[in-house]
Amino acid sequence: MSLFSATLAEPQSFSTWEKLLLAILIVTSVALFFSRFGPIVKRILTSKKDSNFKLSPIGRRIWRFFWQVLCQAKVIRERPLPGLAHAFVFWGFCAFALVTLNHFAVGFGRGFLDPAGIFGRFYSYFAAVFAAACAVGIFGLFVRRFFVRPRWLGKKVSYESGVIASLIFLLMVTYLAAFLISETSPAARPLWWIHSLSILAFLPIIPHTKHLHLVLSPATIFLSRGGFSKIPPLVGDEDFGLVAGTDLTRLVSLQAYSCVECGRCTEHCPANNTGKELNPKEIILGVRGYLNEFGPGSGESLIGKYNSMTADFQCTTCGACEYQCPVGIEHLPIIIGLRRGAVNTGAWEDEHGAKLFLALERGSNALGMSASERDRFVQKQQFPIFDGSQEYCLWLGCMGGYDPKGREIVADFARVMNNLGVSYGVLRKEKCTGDPVRRLGNDLLFQQLAEANLETLAQNKVKKIVSICPHCVRTIQEDWKEFGNPPEIEHHSEFLARYADKLPKQNTGGEPSETIAYHDPCYLGRYRDVYEQPRTVASLAGEVVEASRSHQRSFCCGAGGGLVFLGEENGDRVSNTRAKELVATGASTIGTACPFCNSMFRDALATTGDAAPQLMDIAQLIARALPQGNTAKTERA
Amino acid sequence: MSGIYVVLEDRNGRIGRISFEAIAAAKALAAHSGSKTTAIVIGAQTEPLAAEAATKGVGRVVRVEHALLSPYTSDGYTSALEQFIKSESPDYLVFPHTYQVRDYVPALAARFGRVLIGDVTAVSEGPVFIRSLMQGRLSGSYKAAGTGPCLISVQSGAFRAEGVEASPGEISTFTPTLEVAQIRAKPGEPYRGTAQTVDLGSAQMIVAVGRGIKEESNLSLVQALAASLGAEIAASRPICDNGWLPIERQVGSSGQTVAPKLYLAVGISGAIQHLVGMKGSQCIVAINKDAEAPIFEVADYGIVGDLFEVVPALTESIEAARQ
Amino acid sequence: MKIIVCIKQVPERDAQVRIDGSGKWIEETDLQFAMNESDAYALEEALQLKEKHGGEVIVLSAGPERAGTTIREALAKGADRAIQVESNDPNQLDALGVAQLLATAAKQENPDLVLTGLQSDDLGYGQTGVIMAELMGLPHASLILNVEKTDSGITVKRELEEGWFQDIQLPLPAVLMIQSGGTKLRYATLMGIKKAKTKELRKLGAAELRQPTTQAATLEKITLPQKQKSTQIIPGNAKEAAATLVEKLKFEVRVL
Repeated sequence: MSLFSATLAEPQSFSTWEKLLLAILIVTSVALFFSRFGPIVKRILTSKKDSNFKLSPIGRRIWRFFWQVLCQAKVIRERPLPGLAHAFVFWGFCAFALVTLNHFAVGFGRGFLDPAGIFGRFYSYFAAVFAAACAVGIFGLFVRRFFVRPRWLGKKVSYESGVIASLIFLLMVTYLAAFLISETSPAARPLWWIHSLSILAFLPIIPHTKHLHLVLSPATIFLSRGGFSKIPPLVGDEDFGLVAGTDLTRLVSLQAYSCVECGRCTEHCPANNTGKELNPKEIILGVRGYLNEFGPGSGESLIGKYNSMTADFQCTTCGACEYQCPVGIEHLPIIIGLRRGAVNTGAWEDEHGAKLFLALERGSNALGMSASERDRFVQKQQFPIFDGSQEYCLWLGCMGGYDPKGREIVADFARVMNNLGVSYGVLRKEKCTGDPVRRLGNDLLFQQLAEANLETLAQNKVKKIVSICPHCVRTIQEDWKEFGNPPEIEHHSEFLARYADKLPKQNTGGEPSETIAYHDPCYLGRYRDVYEQPRTVASLAGEVVEASRSHQRSFCCGAGGGLVFLGEENGDRVSNTRAKELVATGASTIGTACPFCNSMFRDALATTGDAAPQLMDIAQLIARALPQGNTAKTERA
Repeated sequence: MSGIYVVLEDRNGRIGRISFEAIAAAKALAAHSGSKTTAIVIGAQTEPLAAEAATKGVGRVVRVEHALLSPYTSDGYTSALEQFIKSESPDYLVFPHTYQVRDYVPALAARFGRVLIGDVTAVSEGPVFIRSLMQGRLSGSYKAAGTGPCLISVQSGAFRAEGVEASPGEISTFTPTLEVAQIRAKPGEPYRGTAQTVDLGSAQMIVAVGRGIKEESNLSLVQALAASLGAEIAASRPICDNGWLPIERQVGSSGQTVAPKLYLAVGISGAIQHLVGMKGSQCIVAINKDAEAPIFEVADYGIVGDLFEVVPALTESIEAARQ
Repeated sequence: MKIIVCIKQVPERDAQVRIDGSGKWIEETDLQFAMNESDAYALEEALQLKEKHGGEVIVLSAGPERAGTTIREALAKGADRAIQVESNDPNQLDALGVAQLLATAAKQENPDLVLTGLQSDDLGYGQTGVIMAELMGLPHASLILNVEKTDSGITVKRELEEGWFQDIQLPLPAVLMIQSGGTKLRYATLMGIKKAKTKELRKLGAAELRQPTTQAATLEKITLPQKQKSTQIIPGNAKEAAATLVEKLKFEVRVL
């Protein structure tokens, strides 16, 4: 009997007892499902309302739903083989919707998909293909989880995953088996019952396990905050961030219950990869555990049984976790929310952290240096002072204004601007944009810094800003919106890329060109989606080669999240790990686009010795090809 | 009697250098106003100190002596000098600007409705007293006003102590009236911070070493320099990372923050992570072979040279100077 | 324990200063102000004592209107209430004048302990606390790094020159001048600032507290000092440079 002549064997009729039994089982299964699902939904809905949630632009939400849920794009792209296997399981479920409905209808004698009819037959074959793919997929995933045992799935053997996998497999196999027998075969009825019982057993299990994502994740993805690391503003006098259950919002709760425990976030976390306690998956599951035990109305501290303060403060806010999550969980607002809860209430006691905060309380920059040092640098470089007549305001930032290496980068970029004939000026006074304190959760300081800076910019009538630091760019463009209207700002890589054809090309003339391993900074790449422009600029100076993890998967340098100010790390240094990876490309130069990355790699390369590759910012790669003496001073500041 | 009285401070049984500087200041003041100088020593056993003071050409020496004047207490010294001032009515009282003086002389001045003009760095015609404001960024000119004695204290090193040896002057004694109940504070014996723990934060002088030292075996050079100065050793991060010095000696953003009187940076380039830990030092000296090294930006004094030559030469010169 | 902490609002530590028209003080427009550094340590010491032994911490400050921000900062860090002595030109008063204002206000409160910073970052007299003790008739100690409460009063750790320390026992009430660096400062928090909004800030006029008397010392004028900080690169070969450096260490830096 060829497969194409086979039809799905549906039992012809069921006795009244069978129908009664079926009805009771369905009701029981559904009741059990809701007995667990109901309270979860209640917890989500009774959580605090999100203050800044807006449904619009709805088009973007619909697209995201289509692309990430229906097409499973992120699931497949980030882990191709397991992702594809999962996609088949998912599509199989979707295809099976109609089939399942029909299956139970058959139980009551009201089947509507006639397996012999044209549509019914076609549909049964259609579903069968998916059933086969799904069965293969779920089998593969089972083997992976229980035999291959990747690290990020956790050490514990998950019996529930085994049970679910078995049920799904059983469902698919019983469906396919029904093609191999005839309607009248004595096996038809038992097969039908096994299939039904599998479904009815599966349904109540869903809300007890991570398979709740079946129900929730489409909503989670549709309703996500959008943007990247979208930190909600604090509302009112009693809001200090995520302190207790009463601060958990609906989105946070929804996301916590949607976690599939896939571990993609943890797999890519730089802290976790270098032996730190931080585990992004555990943070999300911790919120879930808290909600299950204490609920959203509880005053019990979030940091405690279900969350570790130490882990919270090991995060560099690189965003690899949030980028990877296939079900739309936004880790960064949660982690920063927990930090806010600790810092805004003074619960966080950290020597270096306090030093950073005190330096910014009393002074203008995160390094604790005197503002007069910046003034001296500006004078020595003879930077024009911004007076409203120039096109750009060149924002120095803390690194550009005070760090010797940052100053070199700024000076070189200024030379390039001079060479291009672009007018710019430097502000007389700058305060730190507040990026480190924002990421550490100090809203008091952040507000003070943002407001002071916004006023300076308004007074000086600044319309366009260009900066060498992705942290400044992000903070000014996005985070300052909470307190005013920041002017347009771009990163110097975006600026330089626009002028690429006016900049000197260095790799002409037949000699082997220099190889440049470009490192994507977190705050330029994942945060701002700028990947090609810096490469365009770097390729003017040499041949760009890629590190093993690049673009959206770039591995953090370790400085972000305020961590560069927090003293020594436990375990291996994140910067050393990444530096090794960049050196392993064999490139003669490491190209950076962020003064913090530059600083971290400089330290890391220092341990490599004299064979280390050159380390240069993209601005420096261009400036070195300019004729000397372009009005800005090129001496070391 | 009026005139200019200079109060000398006991430093381990001898007159300290800063007191001699106060004498020089008093003499400068005397030259301006054409008055005579008198020295005062205070304590429970002031004979040896008075004898030493008498040979310094300062004129008469008064021993303000009482059993309750040792150990130093603010109550004791204030009351004793108050009585003395009432008895001799000096025009000026010149003190060395020491911790002890800061502890009692303002109270003493207040008893006469006066105020101490402290930490004076120069005296000019008037007399006008110059002192620093805003951590040295400004200079202020002060004049005494109203009636009553004028009390000033002079900054360490502002006046050059003269090495005068003169034939002994007259010594007299003044015995104040003091009662036990007047002394409200009970001071304990002075002690040093624990020798075990490294406390860079309170070190007066620090010699810090960086990657320029190249190898662990070369550390002995820097240790010799530190020993000659009586300074603590510190290091920039790479040295501690390599395990050449313990992590407690690391100065920088992920280590200690220090602000000693003297910070000698040897073979340190001056990356920002290190600078933020030591930029508060009162005097920074840098030795580095790279003239462009950022450390020279923050240094008060710099030597551009090979540390393997400079450091031993410096150690030798310091040892010679200390003899 | 009822603790009064005297704080002063001073120009930001590293501010560029320009001399004003009168030649007697600095131009204050464009200046940022902050809490005097050693006063911050005094406040921290007081807050730690309150946390350990209970009681009340009251902030006392003499200054113009703008000093209110610094006073509120102290309230945000945990002080319970504040008294502001309104005085438009406290820098024109000598140390005795300022101490008189503060001592009179403090006496009204009958405190167990009065803490002041060691010296202000602007005028730097370093005398206010000692004079206050004298005016209030209380025992005092200066250059204090640590305060411990005992049955008979307090034991304090005093800094002496050249790395020596001394413990002193004092009865209460007493006045202490606190040295910077003895403890770790706490940072201002959002929660603290919100709470501070409801804390009492009482204002007193300078005239009620002090009879205008002639000053004992006057600040005639201020100037920029001759030498600005710049790096002196010492020339010569190793031996020569070393010798020159030693000379400078002896006579200019005065550490040898």
